[in-house]
Amino acid sequence: MKSHRRGRRAGLVIALGAVAALLAGCGQSGSTAASGGPVTITFLSYTVGQASAVGDGTKKLIADFEAANPEIKVEAQPVPTADVLTKLQASVVAGNPPDVAQIGWSKVAQAAGTLPLRPFEDITSAEDWKNTLDGIVPSVLKATPVAGQQKIVSMPFLMATPVLFYNTDLFKAAGLDPAHPPTTIDQMKQAALTIKAKTGADGTYVSAVDPGKSDYLTQSLVDSAGGGLVTPNGDITVDSPQAITALSAVQDLTKSGAQPAVQFDSAQSAFSAGKLGMLVTTAGGLVTLDKAAKGKYTLGVAPFPGFEGMPAHPTFSGNGLSILAKDSAKAQAAWKFVQFLTSEKSFEYIASSMGYLPLRAAAASAADPRLGPALQQLADLAPYTTFPGKKSNQGVVVLQDEAVEPIVLRGADPAATLHAAAAKIRSLG
Amino acid sequence: MTLATQTKAGPARKTGSALAWLYFTPAIVSLLIWVYGPLLFTAVLSFLDWNLVSPDAAWQGLRNYGTLVTQPEFGNAAWNTVLYGLCVLPFATVVPCALAIAMWKRPGRASEIYRMLLFLPVVVAPVANALAWQFILDPLHGAVNQTLRAVGLPAVNWLGDPHTALLTIVAVTVPKVVALNTLLFGAALANVDRRTVEAARMDDAREGEITRAVVIPQLRRTMILLGMLSLVVVWPWLFTNISVLTRGGPSNATDNVYFRLYTYAFTFFDAGTASAAAIVIAVAFGLLLAGYAFLSRRFRASR
Repeated sequence: MKSHRRGRRAGLVIALGAVAALLAGCGQSGSTAASGGPVTITFLSYTVGQASAVGDGTKKLIADFEAANPEIKVEAQPVPTADVLTKLQASVVAGNPPDVAQIGWSKVAQAAGTLPLRPFEDITSAEDWKNTLDGIVPSVLKATPVAGQQKIVSMPFLMATPVLFYNTDLFKAAGLDPAHPPTTIDQMKQAALTIKAKTGADGTYVSAVDPGKSDYLTQSLVDSAGGGLVTPNGDITVDSPQAITALSAVQDLTKSGAQPAVQFDSAQSAFSAGKLGMLVTTAGGLVTLDKAAKGKYTLGVAPFPGFEGMPAHPTFSGNGLSILAKDSAKAQAAWKFVQFLTSEKSFEYIASSMGYLPLRAAAASAADPRLGPALQQLADLAPYTTFPGKKSNQGVVVLQDEAVEPIVLRGADPAATLHAAAAKIRSLG
Repeated sequence: MTLATQTKAGPARKTGSALAWLYFTPAIVSLLIWVYGPLLFTAVLSFLDWNLVSPDAAWQGLRNYGTLVTQPEFGNAAWNTVLYGLCVLPFATVVPCALAIAMWKRPGRASEIYRMLLFLPVVVAPVANALAWQFILDPLHGAVNQTLRAVGLPAVNWLGDPHTALLTIVAVTVPKVVALNTLLFGAALANVDRRTVEAARMDDAREGEITRAVVIPQLRRTMILLGMLSLVVVWPWLFTNISVLTRGGPSNATDNVYFRLYTYAFTFFDAGTASAAAIVIAVAFGLLLAGYAFLSRRFRASR
């Protein structure tokens, strides 16, 4: 009798203690680099731990940097995509933030609003800063400043637009012409139903329900339908008629059977196995998908499909690099690292071997030719928008979990669901 | 003689109790630092609006507690927590008890091997286990749905359908509970006198009657203890599977109060609401405990 009561109380106490300890945040370190000796900087990254060409590429870029700068060591801290903000915030609370962090675009506005991201201009000289920006594709510089920030705090690194990947062999087997992939969502639905009927494979998958909890594809769909999730002065319009049209179209893909009602991971592995005809997702998946297709089928890449009579207007996904180092020697080393990762040479490698876009015009010629559709979109890039306020990322999570997923995968009423989500997001701001 | 001992016992007891407090001090101090201090800190946090990093935390009174009541998420999580508890309970008591008795009744090499195999889930790495299940349960080409299709049954989106997701999380978690408790029931059975069973056999009792009337009554206390204990230790195991497989979705169907607390604190960085949730969980547990203690005392008194 006594022992189990004690067991319960101990469990409770342990649970509470753990929670409180976590909330309080323990441990402190304000390490200063010894002057003159080698400097070690920490790099929080969600791509470095991935078992893919992107993960290998990130490791190679780090190794190249260390080889070129023997006095600087980079210590990578891998983190899952969806946990970047969590890890970052927890490490800031603990007084031990990484010196450089790779932050996805859907999370950077909240990070900049709440965490000590340092403007690059404050770290280096005005001339050096101007020279660094020189050569970056103008549309990228126009589309990436973080809302609410006067100075640039996130340097565009691995960036991609969404495209339509397709299995050319399944197209042929279904009697479709792989040279003319669908250009609108309607055409894609027809092609998907044909593939399903003729080959038995699944038709298409639009990865609006993003595993990293980003809304880049939701934005791309709503933008392409002529709407937007938020107006320039911060009004939330996720329940606009255009947004309802856009998500209804994706829901129709599921309802008609053109798209399986599954999470992205299942769809991606089905596509890799040659059992799914089309996959609309970030162009950054190119190398991984291509590697999986090798020997099984030929991978095709086409522009993001839009709506009938309107040009497609996708935004971008990916990440930028931010510096959090306080210590001057570490901040300088961190800046060198950021400069290296966003140099022309690095972008040549990124665009040829990692599947992300060359953000410097001079590196474009090195790009994988199948990035063509994404490169065209880069010239006319729709800005990635963020919800206003310090809870912008919570707004994205609400939109994705409580509206996009139930509508797209489980047949929830688009208008009512989006109205409810919009009200909730407005109440956060 | 009696008088002499009594007079001696007075001061001796006093020094004894002072000494006892001295021995207690390290434990009490560390409890204050590591348990009650943070608990107090959490209680204070629950009245603030704070994101863990900003230097200014605003006082909000009871608004965080209001959020827990007015927003549907915490209520839903609390209900799911009850469901999880109810679903886990038979796998913490009846199932492992039956397995342990079966192995106890037929001792030997086969029983030993079986016992070892049953214990295996306890030592499997939790995240690796969850990832393996993700592949097995994949709605399109996972082993489970492939098998269902092969025998002509419709495929089920186990983790993606709000109707099946919670049960699926329970199903992938309980092997661990069963494994551990089978071992513990086995240990309890080692204390059961086999001669009581022999005696019952002499009296021509059937095997079912022996189990029901002789073995199980001797395991009743163990069963209550393990049922309670499992309801304390199962949450971290469930948490891992929820975190890897569903992140509380679809439509919060697999959420529970612990995952909700984590979401408030580390997805939304709302330390105030998370702390309010922690306090509510602590109070609810405390009330349950008090109620149980009260009932068991009444029960004992009435006997």
